[in-house]
Amino acid sequence: MTLDVVFLFLQQGVASGLVIGSVYALLALAIVVIFKTSDVPNFSQGEMVMAAGYIALYLLVFRSMPLWIVMPATILAAYAGAALFRRLVLNQVARANGSPVNLVIATLGLSYVLRGFVRQTGFGDTPRSFPPVVEPQSIMIGQAAVTTLDLVILATAVVVMAAFFWMFKYTKIGRAMRAVGMNPKAAQLVGVDLTRIHMIVWGLSGGISAIAALLISPKVLMTADMGSIVTLGFAAAIVGGFTSLPGAVVGGFLIGIIENLVGLFISSRAIVLAPFVAIMLVLVIRPQGLFGGRVEIKKV
Amino acid sequence: MAEHLLEVVDLTVKFGGLTAVNKFNIAVKRGTIHALIGPNGAGKSTTFNCISRFYQPTTGRVLLDGVDVTRMPASAMAGLGVARTFQNLELFGELTVFENVMIGAHVHAGRSWVEVLSARPPGVVEHVEHLLERTSLTAYRNTVARNLDFGHQKLLELARALAIRPRLLLLDEPAAGLRNREIAALDALLTDLCRREGITILLVEHVMQLVMAISDRVTVLNFGTKISEGTPDDVRNDPSVIEAYLGQEMAHA
Repeated sequence: MTLDVVFLFLQQGVASGLVIGSVYALLALAIVVIFKTSDVPNFSQGEMVMAAGYIALYLLVFRSMPLWIVMPATILAAYAGAALFRRLVLNQVARANGSPVNLVIATLGLSYVLRGFVRQTGFGDTPRSFPPVVEPQSIMIGQAAVTTLDLVILATAVVVMAAFFWMFKYTKIGRAMRAVGMNPKAAQLVGVDLTRIHMIVWGLSGGISAIAALLISPKVLMTADMGSIVTLGFAAAIVGGFTSLPGAVVGGFLIGIIENLVGLFISSRAIVLAPFVAIMLVLVIRPQGLFGGRVEIKKV
Repeated sequence: MAEHLLEVVDLTVKFGGLTAVNKFNIAVKRGTIHALIGPNGAGKSTTFNCISRFYQPTTGRVLLDGVDVTRMPASAMAGLGVARTFQNLELFGELTVFENVMIGAHVHAGRSWVEVLSARPPGVVEHVEHLLERTSLTAYRNTVARNLDFGHQKLLELARALAIRPRLLLLDEPAAGLRNREIAALDALLTDLCRREGITILLVEHVMQLVMAISDRVTVLNFGTKISEGTPDDVRNDPSVIEAYLGQEMAHA
């Protein structure tokens, strides 16, 4: 391999990695924001992405609605669905038996329900593809070939992440979320309504999942099992420390870039392994993740 | 305005087969310091958790200024002017001293967009600085809460509770783990809060030195039932109280 080729591959790998990585970063953000505020890893995150994708597909293809209605409608539906699940199901589970394990099992239950529902409708029987938001045209950045669709994906993801970080840092609701993440008891003490905050957190997580679905669907074949893409979101979250929102974003981009570099330099068959090798390396060298802060020592 | 700021009526709390609190009544007069004492496991903290709405009582009612709050969520109590501290501290460990108190003050910062965006509403910062000064925390303003020693963490929890601008302050063992000098300072601060600012205080405490010095009224709880109530002197000389604390033989000795 000549030096020219190495440079070419590097540029291409980073460019493609940033694009797909931005979607992983969104997924990781959706996972981490729920975990941070309720200690529950949401195992239905992938199915939330999948369900949102099918809602959009249904409205767009089977109801022939215009895209400018379909996108907000999908995001709103995902927001409402996720918030309602938190309020109607998880709150009840938490009240009956507050142990986090039960909540995790409930999210697993939701993932089966959503997958079963999509199979039931029959839309998931044949892999479908989703019409892209913009007609992909090839563009060269340096020596890397990307498409206009890629640029739209990256730009949208970055804007969504920026808006989310602004909300989390500067608005009253964002501050309330951080307070709940640090100490739910103390948060209630100063007047934060836990039920409301949990609903909003789940709603936001659902909304972000829907945006990720809209961005990724034109690039992948849609099936009822497409939720497995969220495994990479989990990988990104773990690399970032699982409780750090900036960590989730950096983790997302890292996983995306690693995947692409491995695909170019080693073999396209090694791509599926790359994220897991990355997780293992991070867990061995820095168990708390890249942004996980110091290791907490618990008094027993 | 009801004469009693806080009334607890026939409060019963059962955890499975265990009756932690049994038909307990207490009425706290406006503008007084009222102490709730009793041996370990008497049900003091359970009563506290019912008043601040972290526990749901099995039966009974909690009235705040004559209004039934028994069904209210815990998060609503701050808005109603009820603040509390915890025996085992519940601080925002990663935030600074200043930020911890600011969060408490936010309850009164309103919800308008302007205030949400400006994030540090005018007037609030001054109030927070004032509270830090009163609790002798000004020097630790920018220290991260988890790095404070225990005594200062307790003061910080008190400062955060005061930032809510409470009518009723519930203190769960404020003197536990403090040194003698710190207890004297706490004594002066609590008396001042009550006498000068009219904040009604209900405290659970084991440090009798503090209880007897500052309380207007003392209620004694044992095995979930009220066994005595009155002025500090009344309670100190009540044989049933001595028996509860020291055992039967000592009481008759």
